[in-house]
Amino acid sequence: MAFDLNLTTLWLLFAGPLWAAVGLLLLPRAGSSKSADEAIPATRLQIAGVISGFALGPLGISLFYIAPALIRRATLAAGIVLAVFLASQALVRVTDPQLPSVLWLLLAGPLWAGIAAYFIPRQYRAVEANDDNVLTAAALGGFAIGPLIFGLMWKHSPKISRDWMIAFGSLGAWQIYTLFAIHNPSNPCVAAPFHITYLTQQTANGVVIGTIYSLMAVGLTLIYSVQGIVSFAHGQLYMVGGYFSFYFLLFGSDALSRATGVEISINPILGIPVAGVIVFIIGAVFERVFLKPMHDGLIERVSEYAILITFGFGFFIEYTTLAIAGPFPQRTDRFIEIRRFTFPRTQITDDFFFGPINIIGDRAFAMVIGIVLIFALLYFLQRTWTGRGLRATSQDRQAAAVTGINPTNMNTLSFGMGSMLAAMSGAALIPIFAWVPWVGAEMVGRSYVIVVLGGLGSVPGALVGGIIVGIVEALGAGCHPDPSRGAAYKEAFALVIFALVLLLKPTGLFGREQH
Amino acid sequence: MNRKALSLSLIALMALLALFPLGIAQADEDCEFADYTITLGGLAPMSAPGAVAGGVAMDWAFAQAAADINAACGVEIDGAHYQLEVITGDSEGSPERGQAVAERLILEDEVDGMVGVYHSAVGLATMGVMEENGIPTIFSEPWNDNVSANGIREFDGAAPRFDDGIDHIFRISPTSSMVGSVVTDWLIALGVQDVILIVENTDYGQPAAADEQARLEAAGVTVSQIDIELGTEDFVPILSRIQARAMPPDAIRIVVTGETSFNLTQQMAELGIAPTPETICVTNQIAFQHVQYWATVPDGNYCAFNRVGIIPSLFNELAVELNTGYEEAFGDIVPSFGMASYDAVWMMKDAMERAGSYSDAAAIVAAIEASDITLTQGRYYFDYGAHNPDLPEGTPAYMWHQWPDPIVTVMQYFEQGQSSLEAAVVYPEVYQTHGSAYIAPGTSP
Amino acid sequence: MALFKRVENAIDASIGRRRLGYIALSLITLYFLWFPNDASQSDYYKTVFISGFFYAIMASSWALLAGIAGQFSFGHMAFMGIGAYVAGLIARDGILVAALGIQVGPDYISAVGAILIGTIVAGLVGLVIGWLLLRLRSAYLALFTIAFSELFRIMMLTEYDYTGGSNGLSLRQLLEIADVGVARQVEYYLMFFLLIVCLLAMYWVANSPIGLFLRAMREDEDAASALGVNVVRYKIAIFVFTSMIVGLAGAIFYSDVGSERIIPEQLEVLQMSLIIAYAVIGGMESLIGAAAGAFICRYMLEAMRKVVIGLPFGMTTADGSTEFVWEPGAWRYALFGVVTVFTLRWMRNGLLYPFITWFSGRDIAMKETVSIRADDEAAPDALEGGSA
Repeated sequence: MAFDLNLTTLWLLFAGPLWAAVGLLLLPRAGSSKSADEAIPATRLQIAGVISGFALGPLGISLFYIAPALIRRATLAAGIVLAVFLASQALVRVTDPQLPSVLWLLLAGPLWAGIAAYFIPRQYRAVEANDDNVLTAAALGGFAIGPLIFGLMWKHSPKISRDWMIAFGSLGAWQIYTLFAIHNPSNPCVAAPFHITYLTQQTANGVVIGTIYSLMAVGLTLIYSVQGIVSFAHGQLYMVGGYFSFYFLLFGSDALSRATGVEISINPILGIPVAGVIVFIIGAVFERVFLKPMHDGLIERVSEYAILITFGFGFFIEYTTLAIAGPFPQRTDRFIEIRRFTFPRTQITDDFFFGPINIIGDRAFAMVIGIVLIFALLYFLQRTWTGRGLRATSQDRQAAAVTGINPTNMNTLSFGMGSMLAAMSGAALIPIFAWVPWVGAEMVGRSYVIVVLGGLGSVPGALVGGIIVGIVEALGAGCHPDPSRGAAYKEAFALVIFALVLLLKPTGLFGREQH
Repeated sequence: MNRKALSLSLIALMALLALFPLGIAQADEDCEFADYTITLGGLAPMSAPGAVAGGVAMDWAFAQAAADINAACGVEIDGAHYQLEVITGDSEGSPERGQAVAERLILEDEVDGMVGVYHSAVGLATMGVMEENGIPTIFSEPWNDNVSANGIREFDGAAPRFDDGIDHIFRISPTSSMVGSVVTDWLIALGVQDVILIVENTDYGQPAAADEQARLEAAGVTVSQIDIELGTEDFVPILSRIQARAMPPDAIRIVVTGETSFNLTQQMAELGIAPTPETICVTNQIAFQHVQYWATVPDGNYCAFNRVGIIPSLFNELAVELNTGYEEAFGDIVPSFGMASYDAVWMMKDAMERAGSYSDAAAIVAAIEASDITLTQGRYYFDYGAHNPDLPEGTPAYMWHQWPDPIVTVMQYFEQGQSSLEAAVVYPEVYQTHGSAYIAPGTSP
Repeated sequence: MALFKRVENAIDASIGRRRLGYIALSLITLYFLWFPNDASQSDYYKTVFISGFFYAIMASSWALLAGIAGQFSFGHMAFMGIGAYVAGLIARDGILVAALGIQVGPDYISAVGAILIGTIVAGLVGLVIGWLLLRLRSAYLALFTIAFSELFRIMMLTEYDYTGGSNGLSLRQLLEIADVGVARQVEYYLMFFLLIVCLLAMYWVANSPIGLFLRAMREDEDAASALGVNVVRYKIAIFVFTSMIVGLAGAIFYSDVGSERIIPEQLEVLQMSLIIAYAVIGGMESLIGAAAGAFICRYMLEAMRKVVIGLPFGMTTADGSTEFVWEPGAWRYALFGVVTVFTLRWMRNGLLYPFITWFSGRDIAMKETVSIRADDEAAPDALEGGSA
């Protein structure tokens, strides 16, 4: 590790800290000499002194001395730019020379994202421009293009459309991908010529499982859009839906076989409506008994009550199922007798090929079921009177009541239908996964990610969110440099996205403003 | 409002209080029993986050053993017959709870001995409690080497138990090292070059995998390890990664328990990764539960698995009888820890009879050390203990107070939906049932 | 009922309910102080009580955060875990501040020092999370804290080289007492006094102007900030305060006071939901109620392993027994769920609330609610009345 004593190093070691100390001491005096109406808090001046002294030396400090009003504009910004630059230089100098791009990702990217997310929306509000989506775009842009984001978004305060985020998001993703290519050349995600196939395979994995995930999330979003509450019993209703399907198929096949004398096994697809109907009734009854009083104004602090009561309900369902069904894993027969669909290997040019791509047969089938059910739901919401009633209630309760829709019934219907969708996705997945009473817990965590990402209350958002979560999990587990961490952190990838979305854009991709 | 709410909550509290224990149920009376009932504490995970399925089987085995013993007129000490009862304590798979429950069994229920324990973490945390209180203990499932090794060797700051002159802890389950060596020896004998270990990141998976990895690498085999979290359902992205390798691995070994293992094995088979002519699929002891296995891994034919405990073709009468009872109750084959838990209760009874006391811990420990009794898993005895305290050079410390003969074999299914009673034993050679060390997919022995 | 009324009147006339309440409370405290000296009780019940005290701290601090400050966090167990894990890691590995080149070996850190550092780190993380949470309300806040706590748990599980994975992490022993009986006695008093100190501190906060502001914010944040309550500062402050309390409790409890090692399973959502259920059953808006709820529930879960109900009228079960034996091992959590849901629906302030109100002689929470509903439009007035 060579430590070359050039100007930057010298500055970092000696002059920078020295000038920072000078700035710390001098600047507060500059502030106090001004008239009262221009007074700037001393702490802010001290911070500004340290930053500008460290980054710009005497120049920075004298700028402040002459024109303290510039503090929150040019000088501070320049100071931060340089400080970040110098700090990353310093780190590069004492570590592996190959690291700068990693540093950009680990340090500079998130750092600029944070800085941009802090300052740019303020600027928008200061010039009284519309600041919708600005926070997200600024954070993504800061991550993708660093300080240049200020040039793009600062002075003109352009109107931010979704395109901005897509552009910055893709740019950031491309940068991460390039980093992989540089630092982990043997990673299957970047090792040519197989990487195209591999990425397609992982994306296909993500889309298939993501669509299945989104079916469950749609139920959650439906309940939220009408009632304004998040059901914390959703995972358990999903789990119990699988069990209803399982027992229906078990006893149904048994009874049929005995009645006809021939060995008959019912296709699990029939378990889906059965589980749906049973859980619809359970959900509707629960809503009538426990949630209705909430809308009747009998209960204070509605949203907390809703969280707790659904949570307790889920707790009850899970442990009752455990006591009845036992802890042994179960699974039903498969939907179709095809193990997997394979797109065979195709040689495109001499040194470039594509494939094979494998999709598990039952999953493909479950994905189709998911898409059909989601579109059936959309049709119901758009085209039928009851569905329109639901939508009207979700938009404006009072107005809907005036037009003859009974909001109480709509509440019950929405909770019943939401629970039904959870149960149906459970029944659609029990041929695919081994089923135990605690399967709901992991799955529901993912549903929360999906609905928040897609926007609580938006059905298409849940579909898109599901696919995104599926792809992120697949690519995260498939591309992480360390396969072990990739596998163990599979759920964590989605949770990180979740935390970021909640912080940057709580309304999600398609959501409307919070209730 | 006040009065009504007050009475309401009074009723609710009373209802809760009514659930307090009021007494203990009595068993049938065919023999002349003495007044005192000998009690044993059974530790098993009966609720999440523990492995509930394992705990349920162990609890059943305790009850079955107690019923069988009482049906044969209980424990006979100095001509008096004592009834035996096993009180199951729920460890929840957590060391903290395990410790509390062990204390409850010892101090409140005043048990005369302890049996059971599923999770190694619970075993490691509770053995100190038993030692402090001088309770003879036979562990029937924890695998961590240190459970028995701590008898004569320091572990995690805990002094060797034998330092106090008497070590109350025995184990009749195999140690991780014993299990790992059989599978790795088999793989090495088959001449594999490239093995992937898929491992759960728990106190069971990590040490077991580290041990197997070391053995395989010592034999010149390339090993790569993938850790997964228990509860993961979708393994396709991880498996696609294996599929993307230039050359398929020679074997994939799964060190994962519960439904997570079933999901993984099934998805591996569905994607055509293993078992294939190129790749051997090696899963683990839970595949022996063939009803669960085939229900959840319909494509898992030709997967090999390690079997802990006696192999079906060597089942003695007692084992067959126990298995019949278990099948009636759960519709599946009795797992090894079910057999071991059953045997542990019987061993305790046998030792108390020979010691001539149910309360003299020192005498009971001495009697257990001198055990020579054939039960469902075979003949039980202990090579090293106070009766023979010096382990020869080269004998691992975990052989202390350790039943040396737990049978560990590699078995393999070769027919769709096959009962594990009929599955082939492929390794070690002495137990081979079909004269073959590996049945290639698509063939039949 | 008439008798009840007469007794009630007699008490009102003689010593007064309030004073009777204080007497009852001091009697209970005295009982707990005397308990370890009861030779007829085994050490086992001390263990149960020690863990009861720990969960009482957890539940009551959650009640302060969720019930009084209205921040519905599921991350409480994670902060407890941060306290315990940081204390354990520091006691094992020392402190390394790479950037400053400072390294303090583990030998220079005592168990108390490690616990204090754990508590401070829990507070610092609480500061960051509390700041991030400012933007979020109710359901979003709950979801974010679930995500945070799951991420923390997965990390503790996966990075087993540092954290010990599912084997857990041993903390440095806080009390080094050779005699087991004496050690248990000391552990008991330590945990009990920790509970008392935490409860007193939390009561002090809840009854100070900060507590009133928090209550005001819970009811109507916009109105409260319009009245000049510094919403941001108080919200973060209470989050940091409760995080530090649970971090401290966790670090002490796992320093071989209640348990010898912290395991990641302890941070699962299930454990958090148990804390919430304890607080709900005991009374979410009363600190002492939540603490008592947690203690009683822990005791019940411990006691409920075999229920024997004698059958009336000479009835017998199928096998001829006159007793019905029920082993609720598998059912007790289901039962727990039922109790929680019914408490929420019909006894919103917890099963212990009527006792507390009866002793205090007034009906605090109810009045608050009624005034809100009556003055739905004029919320600021109601708030003013509350904080005056």
